Amino acid sequence: MNPGVAAAALAVVSVATAVIGFYGLRISRTTGDFFVASRTVRPWWNASAIGGEYLSAASFLGVAGLLLLSGTDALWFPVGYTAGYLMLLLFVAAPLRRSGAYTIPDFTEARLDSRAVRKVTSLVVVLVGWLYIVPQLHGAALTIRITTGLPSWVGSVAVVVVVCLTVVAGGMRSITFVQAFQYWLKLTALAVPILFIVFMLAGTGTPALAAPAENPTGLAPAGWYTNVSLLVALLFGTLGLPHVLVRFYTNPDGQSARRTTLIVLGLLSVFYLFPTAYGLVGRMFAPDLARSGQPDAMVLLLPRELIGGPAGDLLSALVVAGAFAAFLSTTSGLVVSLAGVISQDVLGAGVGGFRLAAVVSAVVPLGFALMTGSLALAGSVGLVFAFTASTVCPVLLLGIWWRGLTDTGAIAGMVTGGVLCGGAMIAGSLAGAASTPAWLAQPAAWSVPTAFAVMVLVSRATAGRVPKTLVRVMTRLHTPERPLATGR
Amino acid sequence: MTRVRVTAPATAAHPVTESREAAQESDVGQVFVRSLIRSQLRLALVVAGGFLVILGAFPLLLAAVPGLAETTIAGIPFDWILLGVGIYPVIGLSAWLYTRTAARNEARYRDLAGDP
Repeated sequence: MNPGVAAAALAVVSVATAVIGFYGLRISRTTGDFFVASRTVRPWWNASAIGGEYLSAASFLGVAGLLLLSGTDALWFPVGYTAGYLMLLLFVAAPLRRSGAYTIPDFTEARLDSRAVRKVTSLVVVLVGWLYIVPQLHGAALTIRITTGLPSWVGSVAVVVVVCLTVVAGGMRSITFVQAFQYWLKLTALAVPILFIVFMLAGTGTPALAAPAENPTGLAPAGWYTNVSLLVALLFGTLGLPHVLVRFYTNPDGQSARRTTLIVLGLLSVFYLFPTAYGLVGRMFAPDLARSGQPDAMVLLLPRELIGGPAGDLLSALVVAGAFAAFLSTTSGLVVSLAGVISQDVLGAGVGGFRLAAVVSAVVPLGFALMTGSLALAGSVGLVFAFTASTVCPVLLLGIWWRGLTDTGAIAGMVTGGVLCGGAMIAGSLAGAASTPAWLAQPAAWSVPTAFAVMVLVSRATAGRVPKTLVRVMTRLHTPERPLATGR
Repeated sequence: MTRVRVTAPATAAHPVTESREAAQESDVGQVFVRSLIRSQLRLALVVAGGFLVILGAFPLLLAAVPGLAETTIAGIPFDWILLGVGIYPVIGLSAWLYTRTAARNEARYRDLAGDP
């Protein structure tokens, strides 16, 4: 691909992001604006922003890459990413908004009336955020290397610099506009090239090179355990992601939090049709991309491979722009939520602390990304979901729906889930992908139930520690706001 | 240049919310609150359970009917259509049903608890 075209695409996305960010700065004045956009963002804007933030490198590049490698087994990834939002709608959206907290640690502290729980939750949230930023930076490195021929680190550093500038300048208010813009950019960047390709293939009657069921790499198919465990991770991991949760505080009330989630589900369903189409077309018409060793780059390479010429270059540039939007939006969403946690718990609230915390939250994973090599993007993001599902998810679900949860139980459960899932992740990466058994490579199916069980059992054993504020907090979480309170 | 820390202006929302919670801490109020929580949880579990049953039925259907996965519609194999497209309307429908019923549960609570 022409490196100049790709570089131009990158520059346009970065400048557009920065411009929308600075435009947002003019209407972002108060501490509340910085953290949660003063809860005055409309459902459609908010839903587009949530979609923009959620659709990461794993969705944009990784899903199509895995579909190319492993066919229908990989369809569980987009299904799980979307169905995770259904679980979020069913179990946490409205109560979490009604809790009135800014961050997940705010929520656990308010619910359990305990500073210790807050500290542990903050630690877990920061870990999850950092783990999730690393694959985004790997995706950026891959994109830069494949499309411009520049060294990999340029991509990671470029993403971190743009994110720091936007977040430091505008906080959450401008981020909302940036994210909403990036959802539509990502959708366009995937949809236009693949529609073009499909019409061209249909028009010229190009014969398929391989049947979709044909296995291009000879890798063993995933067993039922792997698929079930992956679904557990994705279904229960989504509702604990810090950058997803912080968005719910931008809804004016619990009802609108539900309406927003409903729109998000529609936006995600439409989006995931396109990576699926890339996977199918790639498998039928470009199976050799699977053997190149970089299946994650398939979305970037397919337009040039199948169309070629200046049209192929232009479509590739569009895909590159969308991919960068994906890295930028997810990373900035994570950085905003991490900065909220770090500045409140370590540096003291206020705009200055928030800015410093934002830089810290972006630079630490950058160091980690530069030191490590990239795995399959969708797979490494799947592991982050497993970690969230084993730590944040139990404390949220039990905290919202079970009166018996105590601070000791919450800490014991989060630590158990974190140690089991984190241990499996470390053991798996030390052993290498080839020699890791399925139960270790995909730990969610046993680490999530264990975390729940420990949380319930320890809470039962320490039943005397149920907080005195319980009745008031549960009432607040579950009863509808008065129409007066929201001005509607 | 002097820097000033600005905070959000106080609104009327807070006092109202506080009195809402205080009023509902009575024994009778709590009966209604507990019944609301139970019905919302039951609703969420039913919708989640129904969705998971349908989700599990899709691959079972493909495994149970031989040749179904290889059938093509407009050149696209049926297993890709079922799992790659067909599942999303089920997710959307579950979400829509839940949102509607949850709002209805809350409206019933408002009537019972005597909120204006």
